[in-house]
Amino acid sequence: MSGAGASILRYRPRRSPGDSTAWLGMLLFLGSWSMLFAALFAAYGVLRLRSPGWPPADQAPLPLLLPGANTLAIVASSAALQSALRSAREGRTAGVLPAAAAALALGAIFLAGQAALWTGLWRAGLRPDGGPFPSVFYGLTVFHALHVLVGLFGLGWVVARAAKASFGPARHLGLRLWCGYWHFVGAVWVLLYLTVFVL
Amino acid sequence: MHTTEQEDLQPIHPEPEGFWPKYVFSRDHKVIAKQFLWAGLIFLFVGGTLAMMIRWQWAFPGKPVPVIGPLFLSDQGGAIGPATYMTVFTMHGLIMIFFAITPILIGAFGNYCIPLMIGARDMAFPTLNMLSFWTFVVSLVLVICSFFGQLGAAGAGWTTYPPLSTNIGTPGSGQTFMVAAIFVTGVSTIMGGINYVTTVIRHRAPGMTYMRMPLTVWGLWLTAVLNVLFVPVLGSAALLLFLDRVFGTQFFIAGAAAVRGGGDPILFQHLFWIFGHPEVYILILPAWGIVSDILSFFSRKPANWYRGSVYAMCTVTVLSAVVYGHHMFMTGMNPLLGQGFMILTLIISVPAELLFLNWLRTLWQGSIRTNPPMLFALGMVFVFGMGGLTGLYLGATATDIYLHDTMFVVGHFHLTMAAASFMGSLAAIYYWFPKMFGRRMSERLGKVHFWWSAVFITLVFTGQLISGYAGQNRRLYNPYEYSFLKHLLPLNRWTSYSAFILMAGQLVFVWNFIHSLVAGARAEMNPWQVGTLEWTIASPPPHHNYDVIPTVLRGPHEFADPLVKAKLGRDWIGQAEPLLQELPGSSTPAAAAGRA
Repeated sequence: MSGAGASILRYRPRRSPGDSTAWLGMLLFLGSWSMLFAALFAAYGVLRLRSPGWPPADQAPLPLLLPGANTLAIVASSAALQSALRSAREGRTAGVLPAAAAALALGAIFLAGQAALWTGLWRAGLRPDGGPFPSVFYGLTVFHALHVLVGLFGLGWVVARAAKASFGPARHLGLRLWCGYWHFVGAVWVLLYLTVFVL
Repeated sequence: MHTTEQEDLQPIHPEPEGFWPKYVFSRDHKVIAKQFLWAGLIFLFVGGTLAMMIRWQWAFPGKPVPVIGPLFLSDQGGAIGPATYMTVFTMHGLIMIFFAITPILIGAFGNYCIPLMIGARDMAFPTLNMLSFWTFVVSLVLVICSFFGQLGAAGAGWTTYPPLSTNIGTPGSGQTFMVAAIFVTGVSTIMGGINYVTTVIRHRAPGMTYMRMPLTVWGLWLTAVLNVLFVPVLGSAALLLFLDRVFGTQFFIAGAAAVRGGGDPILFQHLFWIFGHPEVYILILPAWGIVSDILSFFSRKPANWYRGSVYAMCTVTVLSAVVYGHHMFMTGMNPLLGQGFMILTLIISVPAELLFLNWLRTLWQGSIRTNPPMLFALGMVFVFGMGGLTGLYLGATATDIYLHDTMFVVGHFHLTMAAASFMGSLAAIYYWFPKMFGRRMSERLGKVHFWWSAVFITLVFTGQLISGYAGQNRRLYNPYEYSFLKHLLPLNRWTSYSAFILMAGQLVFVWNFIHSLVAGARAEMNPWQVGTLEWTIASPPPHHNYDVIPTVLRGPHEFADPLVKAKLGRDWIGQAEPLLQELPGSSTPAAAAGRA
C-alpha cells in the first residue's frame, strides 16, 4: 500500500477506478483542446510577425485595465472552485456551496466584463473586418468566452448539486472534472491576456 | 489491474428495452459501430459516384453524363459545367476522407474491435460514444445541406485553401456549410479518440498487456492518439476560415491596406497540413493493424517480429507529426527547411519498410488460406507498396518540384489513402462480418469481388500515375485544352473505363453484404479459428460482451505451436485459454469453438 507511512491527517480515500478513468478522459480532452488553442495562438503569432505594425498605425492599442480586472476575476474564480473541491475532499461539506457559488459569480462577472470590453471597442469603431488586428482580438476573445459560457453552465450544475450537499470525500467526481475544465479556461485567458493585450 | 478490479470498473448493465435506446440512441459500442458502418458505406457510395463523374469528365469532356446527368444536371443539359466540376471533385475528396473512410475504419471498426479485442464490456464512456455518433450525423446533415447550398456545393478543393475558399473565391453557402461540417465532424472524431485512448489504457482485461494486444488494437489506438492531438489543429483552421467567411475577419485574406497588414493565406496551409499529414496516417494505421493481424491469422503463423511492428507503428506515429512541410515545398519555403522536411519524410520509409518486411516474412512459409479477408489483406499490401514507393518521388524536393500538383500526386495518395484503406476496410468487413451480424458472407462472391476490385483499382490509379508523369495537372476541367496533354485522352479514357468497371464490380459486394445479412449461413463462434478474445463469445456477442472478464495468458498470434498441437490437436490457442493444466472439458468457450 502506497499510503502506509503517510500522516493520517493527509489521508485521502483511494480514488475509485471509475473516477480515475473519467479524470483521464478529461485530461485527454484538455490536452486535445490545448492543441486547438495552441494553433490559434500560433496563427496570431504568424499574423503579428508578418504585419507592418501591431497595433496598426491607425488603430488604438487594446485597453489593459478592464481585461486586467477580468484576469483577476477569473483567477479568483478558479481559486474559489479549487477551495470548493478541497472542502469536498476533506469532508467539510458546508464549505462547498459558498465557494462554488463564489466561483460561479466571479465567472459571470468575467463574462460581463468581456461584454463591456467588446461593446466599448465596437463603439470606438473596432470591427472584425478591420484587418488582422481586430480579427485576432475578436476571434480569440469570443471563442474563449464561449468556453467560459460552457463553464458557467457546468458551475451552475455544481452549485445546484452543492446546494443538495451531495459532494463529499468519496463523491466529488463531477466537481473535480469541472474544476479541471475551469482551470484550463482560466489558464487560457491568462495566456491570452499576456499575449494579446499586454505584449 | 486484477480481475475483481476490472469487474468493479465494468459492471454488467441490463440491455436497454425499446426501439429508441436499443437501436437509435444506443450506448452499446457494437450498435454504434454498425451505425458508423452504415453511414460510412452510404457516403462511400456517394463519394464513389462523384468519382465516376470526374472520370466521365476526363474521358468525355463536356458530354452529357449518363444516368446522373438527367437526374441532377438537367439545368446544364446533363453535362458537368466548370463550376459544377469544381464542386464534384471537392465533395468527392472531403466525403471520402471525412465521411467514408473515417467512419468505416475508425468509427465502425474502432468501436467494434477495441472493447471486444481487449476483453472489455464496453467503451470507457458509452454516452460520449453515442454523442460522438450523433455529432457525426449533424456533420452529415451539413454535408447534405452543402449540396443544396446557394451557388452549389463546396468548390475549393478538399484542401480548402484560401483565397479560393474565402468569400472571394467561392461565395455561396455551400462552402460555408462544408467548413462547418469539417469542424463538427472533427469534434465527433475527438470525442471518439478520447474514448478509444482511455478505453485501451483503462479497460484492458487482466493479463492483456500492451505487448499482448492484437495489432489491430495498436493501429486503432495510435490512430486515436493522432486524432486527439491533431484534429483540433484542423478545427482551428476550419474555425478561422468560418470566421473569415461569416463574420468578415481577415485571418487568411491578404489585405490591400498596407498600413494594417493583411491575413496570410499560407498560414492556412500550415494549420491544414500540421493536421493533414498525421491524417494520412490516421487513415492508414487502422488498416496496417488489421492487415498485420489478418496476414498472421490466415498464414497460420505468428506475426513476424510482433514488437518490431509495434515499434514501427509507434515510430511512424511520432514522425508523422514532423513531416507536414513536404506538402508545401512549392510555397516559397526556405530551401533549407524544405531539405529538413525532405529528410524527415524519407526517414518514415524506414519504419514503414520494416512493417512491410514483417508482413512478407509473416507470409513466408505460412500455410496460407485464401479466404476473402486474406485476399483483401494481400491486396492492401500490394497497393500500399505501390503507393509507398511512389511517395518517395514526392518526398524528395528535386522530383517533387516536377511532379507537384500533377496527377502523379493524385495517383500516389489514392494508392495509399484510397486503395489501401479501401482494401483494409474490406478485409475488416469480410473478417468481422460473422461476428458483427452472426452470419457468413459468401466466400465465392467475396473472391469475385476481390479480383474484380484488385485489378481495376490498380489500373485506375496506375493510369493516374502515368498521366501525371506525362505532365497532366490535377483538377483540370478539360486537360485537352492544352496541346501538350492532347495525346493523353486515350490513356485517360482507358483509366475511366477501368474506374467504371471498378464501380460496377462493387455491386457484387452490395449484393453479397445485403444478401448475407438476411440469408447468409449462420456463423459459429469462431469461424476463422483464431485466438483473439472476440472469437470466444457468441456471434453476434451479447450486450455486455463477456459474462466473466477473461484473464489473458498470451499474445494474439499463437499459431503452429507443437505443444498446443499435441495437447489440443489444433494449430491455434485462445489468448485466454489455459494449456498447462487439466482441460476442464467443454467449459472453456475457445476449446468448444475448436471442436465445432
